[in-house]
Amino acid sequence: MLPARSAEPQAVPRPAPPDAGRGTGPSPAVHTIELRKQYRRTVALAGLSMTVRRGEVFGFLGPNGAGKTTAVKLLLGLARPTGGEALVLGAPAGDRETRRRIGYLPELFRYQSWLTAREVLGLHGRLLGLPRARRRAAADDALATVGLAGRGDDKVGTFSKGMQQRLGLGAALLGEPALVVLDEPTSALDPVGRHQVRAIIRELRGRGTTVFLNTHLLQEAEQVCDRVSVISQGRSLATGTLAELRGQASSVRLRVTGLPDGWWRAPQAPGRWTAEGEWLLVRDLAAGQVPDVVAALVARGGRVEAVVPQQQSLEARFLELLGEQ
Amino acid sequence: MNAIGIVAALTLREALRRKLIAALAVICLAMIGLSAWGFYRLSHTSGLTSGEIGGAVPEAFILFMFMFSFVIALSASAIASLSVSTEIDSGVLQAVVTRPVRRSEVLLGKWLGLVAILAAYTALVCGLQVGVVFWVSGFVPPNPAVAAAFLFAEGVALLTLVLLLSTRLSALAAGVLGVALFGMAWLAGVVGSFGQLLKIPALHTVSVVSEYLLPTDGLWHGAIYYLEPASYLAFQSGNQDRGDAFFAAGAPAGPYLIWAVVWFALVLVLGMVSFGRREL
Repeated sequence: MLPARSAEPQAVPRPAPPDAGRGTGPSPAVHTIELRKQYRRTVALAGLSMTVRRGEVFGFLGPNGAGKTTAVKLLLGLARPTGGEALVLGAPAGDRETRRRIGYLPELFRYQSWLTAREVLGLHGRLLGLPRARRRAAADDALATVGLAGRGDDKVGTFSKGMQQRLGLGAALLGEPALVVLDEPTSALDPVGRHQVRAIIRELRGRGTTVFLNTHLLQEAEQVCDRVSVISQGRSLATGTLAELRGQASSVRLRVTGLPDGWWRAPQAPGRWTAEGEWLLVRDLAAGQVPDVVAALVARGGRVEAVVPQQQSLEARFLELLGEQ
Repeated sequence: MNAIGIVAALTLREALRRKLIAALAVICLAMIGLSAWGFYRLSHTSGLTSGEIGGAVPEAFILFMFMFSFVIALSASAIASLSVSTEIDSGVLQAVVTRPVRRSEVLLGKWLGLVAILAAYTALVCGLQVGVVFWVSGFVPPNPAVAAAFLFAEGVALLTLVLLLSTRLSALAAGVLGVALFGMAWLAGVVGSFGQLLKIPALHTVSVVSEYLLPTDGLWHGAIYYLEPASYLAFQSGNQDRGDAFFAAGAPAGPYLIWAVVWFALVLVLGMVSFGRREL
């Protein structure tokens, strides 16, 4: 069993996010209250409440069909909620002017196949209202950032899926958006491409851009996200930092030398102990009991040379959350 | 350039790049070639008297223009059906409408781009047809520019309707439905002619109602009227009892033309509202 967790499903503060609309500070990048979407009898989103802070990389995790893409569509105004409320950059979701400050890479990334990559970016630059003088430079920058610098004058129709996804990411970065929404941004990319996308996300965070990363790749979330929310069947199961989500370490491995023969027959410190050569595995620890284990070993004459907390993996926690549901 | 202009220019560029305009030009030239051959044979080698030729050429001209109107309408239906629903299905439009633009601007831009293509196509077809027929037979219809404007309006009516349908239906369903409605409207016009011939007012009423619901046939009859020389008009008016679907005794009434303009505006606005409310 896991120790007490700080990443239990959280109640999002109601009715309004901190400072929202009061001019005393930046509103959250995204704030939803009981956001709901129902298609006839099918509930795609069953009351999603979450807050994404400005400047963070927020992972939106969930299995296929959890409602992730539906939530993204509601945030961008592609679909209308059947209940609840959503604020994006302090404005109601879908607000036209606010969309000028949002970059979006759709899950279904397709662009005009008969245009060149540079023309696609030029089109999006015009739609964004970028001045002509900035458009060319912005397109060149975007192409270079996503690794398509040499392919700007090639037709999109000749691009592989991965290259089209890179182009979509480039389009999402145009105009220095305050919020970048990436819906499964590496689904068509090879390992090198994935590495590059992660680097781009980190760079965005460095610039203070909020990144809303919709993914089912836990490893991806572990590598770049500041906080994550796990969603399933249209509801948020847990939200927090990765450490909070994984919870406190409940097990610890220690490398111990110098213990006399038969040391383990003596009364044990907290937890269940298992000797593994020079290593000792102690399970079922409560919070704060690791020092007690170390003290007990020293009291028996042992020299503690290494202490390695055995934290639960995100995947294990993710599966556990889904199982609890 | 605002969003409407950006999307209209994009639509035109797509038509050029995807060789739509080239394909339409090839079809146009093939039809004009067929027309030139037909009118040359009719005028020079048919063995008819000059009086018979004088009566046959205007009628043949109207028949050819009917073929052109059919091709223009089908082309309008095809290009309109592909422009919205396929881009929704492929995801192209989702990337566009999440920019700071109104969906109504996107649809209006597409409509304007398609209308510009249709205008160029109609002008090319009608201009070449009039020129070629004059060249091989010496016949010039009395008001070819006004007739072309009515043909263009007929195409725009179908284009606007199919664009509305494609905001909700698949490209295939919107295109097929548009063509079917166009065919039904024409058939209603024929039924109305029979009603006139057989003195059955109910049949005539069907065609009148149909002309208001979908003004393609009403506009086509406007085109016919402006293609009819005075001699042809006088001859046919004396035989009104025969109920000819390719004859118009008078120009469309002013209130009907006003209704046609209102119809365009209504269907276009309905299309914008429908696209605006569509969940993508």
